[in-house]
Amino acid sequence: MNIETALRYGALTAIAIALGLGLYLVKESKATSYLSSDAKACINCHVMESYYATWQHSSHAQRAVCVDCHLPVENYIDKYASKSRDGWNHSVAFTLNTYGKRMLITDDGARRVQENCVRCHASRSKTLIKHVDRYHAFNSPNLGDRKCWDCHREVPHGKVRSINGTPDNLGVRWDR
Amino acid sequence: MKNSLILAIAVAGIAFMTFMLLSIGEKKQEQALINTAPVVKAEGIEARSDEWAKYYPHQYDTWKQTSESSEIEDMVEKYPQLAILWAGYGFAKDYNAPRGHIFALQSNRNTLRTGAPTGPNDGPMPMACWTCKSSDVPRLMAEEGENEYFTGKWARAGSEIVNPIGCADCHNTQTSQLELSRPYLKRALEASGRELDKLTYQDMRSLACAQCHSEYYFLKTPYTDKNGKEAVAAVVTFPWAKGLSAEAMESYYNGYEFKDWTHKLSKTPMLKAQHPGYEIFTTGIHFKRGLACADCHMPYTQKGAIKFSTHKIQNPLNDIANSCLTCHRQSEEEFKQIVKEKLDRKNQLNVLTMNSIASAHLEAKKAWELGATDAEMTPVIDTIRSAQWIWDYSIASHGSFFHAPGETLRLLAVANDKSQHARLALAGILAKYGVINYQVPDFSTKEKAQQLAGVPLQKLVDDKLAFKKGLMKNWLDDAVKDGRLTDKFVQSIPDKASYPQ
Repeated sequence: MNIETALRYGALTAIAIALGLGLYLVKESKATSYLSSDAKACINCHVMESYYATWQHSSHAQRAVCVDCHLPVENYIDKYASKSRDGWNHSVAFTLNTYGKRMLITDDGARRVQENCVRCHASRSKTLIKHVDRYHAFNSPNLGDRKCWDCHREVPHGKVRSINGTPDNLGVRWDR
Repeated sequence: MKNSLILAIAVAGIAFMTFMLLSIGEKKQEQALINTAPVVKAEGIEARSDEWAKYYPHQYDTWKQTSESSEIEDMVEKYPQLAILWAGYGFAKDYNAPRGHIFALQSNRNTLRTGAPTGPNDGPMPMACWTCKSSDVPRLMAEEGENEYFTGKWARAGSEIVNPIGCADCHNTQTSQLELSRPYLKRALEASGRELDKLTYQDMRSLACAQCHSEYYFLKTPYTDKNGKEAVAAVVTFPWAKGLSAEAMESYYNGYEFKDWTHKLSKTPMLKAQHPGYEIFTTGIHFKRGLACADCHMPYTQKGAIKFSTHKIQNPLNDIANSCLTCHRQSEEEFKQIVKEKLDRKNQLNVLTMNSIASAHLEAKKAWELGATDAEMTPVIDTIRSAQWIWDYSIASHGSFFHAPGETLRLLAVANDKSQHARLALAGILAKYGVINYQVPDFSTKEKAQQLAGVPLQKLVDDKLAFKKGLMKNWLDDAVKDGRLTDKFVQSIPDKASYPQ
């Protein structure tokens, strides 16, 4: 057997192993769950459990799952681009343990959430914007940079939501 | 060429995917650790914390860090007034600021208050003095029976009580859940009107601490032991039946005509507050807002993707960022400054109050010497008793001011007022016997104050050192030999006391 033949067989074997391993990785990482909008997919990274729990106990849990607020919903391209970008950042942070104890939303993430607040609460926010000079941001012609949650701080994750601060989450054993 | 390129890419892919699979496996292990509660031991109580460490490595590691709080702060040196206030009682001999949990037993054996026994039936203290110091206590109570445990001298169980405050003090060995390992707290809760089956998890996160960080006395309890012999146990008891406030406990003790000792100088029947930390905490705003001890003293922390409650139980001001700032929004520096200002105010009031009660004791001593009668002195010493009880209650738990600033300041003011009333009356009595403008002797240093209080310090220290070389060493050797003390870390902690070793 010459070297070329050996390399060919080697390459074929390696591809077979890689394919098998790839399938196993898809299963182990629950990769397909990320195609759904099930909120449980978000706690595959268990550092998200405090966010899941605070949402789950909020009124928003009746109507909206994670992606309804955190992803753009206008078109699929934007939605999946954001989803892949977030997914990449999250998996890098989770794999390498580079996240902080108090996780903060990115500016882009905040923009998306704000748009989704307005989208669902359209009639309310229309009224709000109409009366903005009377009730909010007195010196500004519009709402400026203010976000809904600057005032509605407990919606929907409660005031205490950091990994460390949220009780009974992520490794606090108590099941009597 | 093409084949080798494909092979290289495939191998790189395999390597990357293997790395990812290993990482995912690791995260899943962490998750499993989070979600399962191992059984440390199938039956009985495991008092050795290093045995728990096999299942709870993070909690054990942080518990070990309580050894960082190792310094001895001699409170009698710092506040010589204390030797006058406690004249005739053990605390005048030796009283230090608290240290980390891991030192509980060492401090208990080293303090001059526990004396220098030479055998199991010798020494000034009863068995009850071990009760809050060790996870061997619930083990021994389970083995001997509660009353049997509380019978005999302190030295009786020296070789049994060898593991400092650890896992089994607060956790059930089989389920790892929080548990009250000391039955007297359950009785006290019921006596104070709490229903045990309504306790919440949040309640438990304070009550686990309240087992020890509370006011107590030793109630003489007659019982018949297993051999049918009559015996008397000195059972740790919380005076909670009339309420948890200083005044309620005072009324409880007065109902018994209870006294811890008779004051050596003023002949007052005295009460000694132990450390009503839990009681005073329940009067404070943090408690009223639903916080538990563990919220500030054991804040959640993190290692990898595992979150756990730190077991480095300490002053939360050492960890402001993780405890206080979870709710308070100042910067760490500003927060520290605010607390310091507040604490200075309390310290000023505390010193004023201690000075005035100590002076009252010394003036009463003078009045007795001049021949004052019981009828003249009884109302005065009753006032001194009350003043000192209230002062002691407000201060004895060390953290009281932080736990309940308003209540602590109120109690200090009341105690100061009462002692000044006693001193006014004493000025009258002294004048009646011809002494005007009596100046109490100087108690401004530990030496002077202990001399006035009649504390033979050097002898106490010499006896203690002999005890440590003799009986105490045998206790520990036996415990190690019999496998009751296996924790190498506990055995290696530095040995410190308020006197030279």
